Amino acid sequence: MTVAFAFLAGMTLVSALGVVLSRSVVHSALFMSGSFLGISGFFVMLNAPALAAFQVLIYVGAVTVVILFGIMFTQRPQVRRYRTIINRQFWAGFLVAAGVGAFLAYVLSAEDWGGTKPGNGPRQVAAFGRDLLGVSQGAEVFTLLFEVASVLLLVAVVAAIVVSRRKMGQGIDRGVRE
Amino acid sequence: METFLHLLEIEPIRLIISFAAVLFLVLNLAAVLTMAERKVSGYIHLRYGPNRVGPRGLLQPAADVFKLFTKENVSPGRSDLWVFLGAPIAMFIPAALVWVVVPFAPDAVVADINVAVLFFVAITSIGALGVVMAGYGSRSAFSLLGALRGAAQMISYEVPLILSLLGVVMLSGSLSLVDIVKAQGDTIWTWYFLPQLPMFVTFYIAGLAEVKRVPFDLPEGESEIVGGFMVEYSGMTWALIQAAEFASMAVMSSITVTLFLGGWQPPLPFLDLGNFNWVWFGIKTALIMFTLQWIRWSVPRLRMDQLMDLGWKVLVPITLIWLFVTAGAMLIF
Repeated sequence: MTVAFAFLAGMTLVSALGVVLSRSVVHSALFMSGSFLGISGFFVMLNAPALAAFQVLIYVGAVTVVILFGIMFTQRPQVRRYRTIINRQFWAGFLVAAGVGAFLAYVLSAEDWGGTKPGNGPRQVAAFGRDLLGVSQGAEVFTLLFEVASVLLLVAVVAAIVVSRRKMGQGIDRGVRE
Repeated sequence: METFLHLLEIEPIRLIISFAAVLFLVLNLAAVLTMAERKVSGYIHLRYGPNRVGPRGLLQPAADVFKLFTKENVSPGRSDLWVFLGAPIAMFIPAALVWVVVPFAPDAVVADINVAVLFFVAITSIGALGVVMAGYGSRSAFSLLGALRGAAQMISYEVPLILSLLGVVMLSGSLSLVDIVKAQGDTIWTWYFLPQLPMFVTFYIAGLAEVKRVPFDLPEGESEIVGGFMVEYSGMTWALIQAAEFASMAVMSSITVTLFLGGWQPPLPFLDLGNFNWVWFGIKTALIMFTLQWIRWSVPRLRMDQLMDLGWKVLVPITLIWLFVTAGAMLIF
């Protein structure tokens, strides 16, 4: 268990460092998928296979691929210099990161975790789904969040159409005319 | 012998040995499918196909593997070496990993996880990453074009693929492939391909696009971009990409069989073979794989816009409508 944890933590951290420090944007995106895979490994260790599958499906399978797709469409392969990576905002960024880290460490260590053990959550997928949709006894706030997220996606889709549509009388109009 | 058999039931040993067996199966399947592909193409073209090595050319896979092992592994001078070499691995591992949740016979499954359908969808979605890596790592225009086509195609067809699974999940009320197979019963007319016929067809077509086989082989596009994302590969790396392609084709067939065609269930109750029901699983999977090869030599390649139209304007609406029909039918009956 400890060995697996050390392996996953090392994989996540090294990949995360790779995202920040690698000189090519494509390498950063690939390192990011490694980091996401490490996190899904943590979910498996915590007896939450559904969350692990969602992590892989959404972050590795969709987000990273779309990011790579965008990079390859918009730029030619190029190399960043370390001067641009470690720029003038180094100390400000370092302070913010250290502050957030210290705050999280304080909150998480001050919290009384009591008898919490990995795997105590609802492992049944059906119960998990009911909790998420608010039809069980628990809090119903997740239904609202679910709907808000879908509205956000709708806005994004409409925005994509508006941005990508050609204006009238500009270039070849191959899209749908209003 | 008894103690040895008991040893096989202890948990980590069972998992490791069964996973090694599945990996062995996948690698050999890829070799055999390569020969099957050439033989089927031969008979469809009214010729013999490979017939020099062994009786009727049956030992051709061994010769192919030996040739590929001894070939030099060339990489382009300007290639991004780590990405270039990592891409075949990133394509092969997902294709081999999905076999972990496929039930071969009653109680014969490597890992019966309760979210197996989700696992299948998640793992297949990584495959696009390997294609993008291969295209970028090669640093060649044809590779990049192929990879862009591949990524666009695989992301688009994941939508109808996932939506067409939902009908089966609704009918069986479970995300575990073992439960889904059990719920389908041992007669041919209780399998899910009849009540879910539009979903079955959609899943089959989307699966065909997901494994990049012929009417949807734009990422490879031999006649226009000379092999697409795999144009720079040679020797073992090329063999690994081919193995990944054939393994994912076999995975897609086996998942089609598991979800819609009753998995290891016999077609009629008196044909039940007990523990040997894997024979039924094998026969059905082989039939589906044969139809995939049949299509390859019968249907011309789609254009990019036709591909996107088929995915978004035909398959997605069909699955959405049939989801409503299924939900309504479940509400009434």
